[in-house]
Amino acid sequence: MSSRADEPAAGSHPAAARSAPHGVRGARNGRHGGLLPAALVSPAIILLLLFTVAPAIYAVFLSFRRLQVGRGLLGGGKPTEVWTGFSNYTAALTDGEFWASLGRMLLIGAFGVPMTVVLATVFALCLDAKRARLTGFARLAIFLPYAVPGVVASLLWGFLYLPATSPIGGGTFDYFGSRGIFFSVANVAVWGVVGFNMVILYTTVRSLPRELFEAAELDGASEFQIAVRVKLPLMAPAVAMVALFSVIGALQLFNEPTTLKPLANAISSTWVPLMRAYTDAFVDNSIYEGAATSFLLIVMTVAATVVVSAIGRRIGRAR
Amino acid sequence: MYARLGAGLLVAALALTACSGNDSPASSPATGGNEKVELTFVNWDGGMDKVVDEWNQLNPNIQVQLSKPSGTGYTLYNKLITNNKAGTNPDITQVEYQALPALIANQVVVPLDDYVKGLDAKYDKASLAQVQFEGKTYGVPQNVCPMVFFYRKDVFDKLGLKPPATWDEYATTAAALKKADPKKFIGNFTAADPGWFAGLAQQAGANWWKADGDTWSVSINDAASKKVADFWDGLITKGLVSPQPNWSAQWNTEMNNGTIVGWVGAQWGPNQLPSIAKDTAGKWAAAPLPAWTAGDATVGIWGGETEAVTANSKHPAEAAKFVEWLNSSEAGMTSLIKHVQAFPASPAGQQLPALKTPPPFMSNQPDYNTLMATAAKSVRTFDIWGPNANVTFDSYSNAFAAALQKKTPLAGALDTMQEATVADMKKLGFQVAG
Repeated sequence: MSSRADEPAAGSHPAAARSAPHGVRGARNGRHGGLLPAALVSPAIILLLLFTVAPAIYAVFLSFRRLQVGRGLLGGGKPTEVWTGFSNYTAALTDGEFWASLGRMLLIGAFGVPMTVVLATVFALCLDAKRARLTGFARLAIFLPYAVPGVVASLLWGFLYLPATSPIGGGTFDYFGSRGIFFSVANVAVWGVVGFNMVILYTTVRSLPRELFEAAELDGASEFQIAVRVKLPLMAPAVAMVALFSVIGALQLFNEPTTLKPLANAISSTWVPLMRAYTDAFVDNSIYEGAATSFLLIVMTVAATVVVSAIGRRIGRAR
Repeated sequence: MYARLGAGLLVAALALTACSGNDSPASSPATGGNEKVELTFVNWDGGMDKVVDEWNQLNPNIQVQLSKPSGTGYTLYNKLITNNKAGTNPDITQVEYQALPALIANQVVVPLDDYVKGLDAKYDKASLAQVQFEGKTYGVPQNVCPMVFFYRKDVFDKLGLKPPATWDEYATTAAALKKADPKKFIGNFTAADPGWFAGLAQQAGANWWKADGDTWSVSINDAASKKVADFWDGLITKGLVSPQPNWSAQWNTEMNNGTIVGWVGAQWGPNQLPSIAKDTAGKWAAAPLPAWTAGDATVGIWGGETEAVTANSKHPAEAAKFVEWLNSSEAGMTSLIKHVQAFPASPAGQQLPALKTPPPFMSNQPDYNTLMATAAKSVRTFDIWGPNANVTFDSYSNAFAAALQKKTPLAGALDTMQEATVADMKKLGFQVAG
């Protein structure tokens, strides 16, 4: 799970800048100047169009195509690309394995996302506690796994899991068992991102006004009560954001299972949706079905993002 | 040549349009007279650099630049298929036999008939069948990789065991070994290697693909293949073989520390064993693959490759010249034997003096290559590899791994492979019987 937030350069709209009335020159919002704002945002917009929007449109185009070989035993003559309507989508949606891969992803998410959020929150609150010692070292130690590339981390964990090389009881607990594998994959992912989320939450809690905590302390609140009753509610928006990142990260699960796959029989090449898209495109050599699967996944990611951020806003408003 | 399919790490991110074209075509001027030509050649065999160096010294005007692919097996072939449209493929590529039909169907490689003559005199029919399709020749066969049985001679000798001559004996030897030392396995069933199972099925008489005119018939779940699956199923159920896949850290460790004391492998085994089980050099011996009926020498193949010239190449004549030298000239084959530990497909090549020396890892078995020459005479392959063997192979790994994981019958996995293969062929527009 990665905690990467692609922030499209929305908000600053060149058209809005151009249409701003000249009368407000010098106004606080500074919506004037025509070319300059447009020039400033253009690199971001151009890159976004070139490397995100254009490939996405091309992928959608491909998802309605398929390959047709020529006649003859080996299709003598060039294979041609033909329109195929929604068949790539129906193929994916009617394939039990597609839904199974979604189910596996959700199962890992259901374990990994709460784990990430809870651990990151607990770590952040512990580090902020008055009694905490060696906070600098602890913060670095918790953050460090984030700096380890996902593939390397997965390989390391793979060695820790395999019975022949395991120092953590791989001989007695089957980390690659039909159930154990979900824990094993989620564990690698959680271990990798907890540190980053902890830093976000820790920064949030440090930026809260200290007077509140002192007041609570004077009123006789224990350290635990302050953390749960005062700090936690104030951190809620940041916690919601961390949850959102974690959900998106779970949808993008790929590195960990892909790296663990050759180590055992537990993980198939279509184990999670992104692996399926990869397999469609680059193993089964049907870039068209890969595009359709990818597009379905994008739709689901956007839907999940909207839902989670709506829940997050509601929590924020309820406060 | 090494069927380490999928063993390479797939770290490429999913970016449908990011087909990086790092193999830019040779930017040399058009050929003519003594112009120097530069060719690019992609191959993942260890030691190939030394072979290419020898060519480059002999041929100052046709310089070959070797590059290793980012991934082996189908990772490479699918990249070639994708890059073909962009025109950025290298001039020459390594192709395992089972992948050649797919590359031909996608017009990635070109026929060599105009450039390479007289192959019929140099190779036997079985080898040529791997590179000739619809009357055209698409490559010069490099090697033949008969399957053999590797075993830890020291352990077998100590326990008074003999290498099994038949599969029945394999089962009884496995049981005897288990009785002597419950921690040891005679081998493993690998869901990671479709080519391995295909080789075993070939020995049993399976014929996964047949061609009749322009029509294919596919029988991956035939009786012979199911016999092989059922046999291994029995061994796994009794706990006599390990269900762990090849090439994992687990397998390497167990091969190295003597937990696994046998390996149903192929000719190229000694090239890989140093990285699998480095502490066991000189302790292994190769024996003929166990037979289904005593005295029957028939074996299947696992791996084996040819070199092919791509449609993107601007210098196909020069590229074909290199391919011919590499795989069918005395100098090229000698170099391959020495540096890549290849066993030539050409019968003349199988007599080369370089083969008198066994591969370094098998220094204790001076007649290693004699055994290979004998096995090579009894090789039986499928009539033809299907045009979408990549789908079949991916389906093998998924279906067999799932069956092993869930402890369901392995023969059922063959039905899954059959369905996936036929469905994909029909979707692509191939004519499939039945």
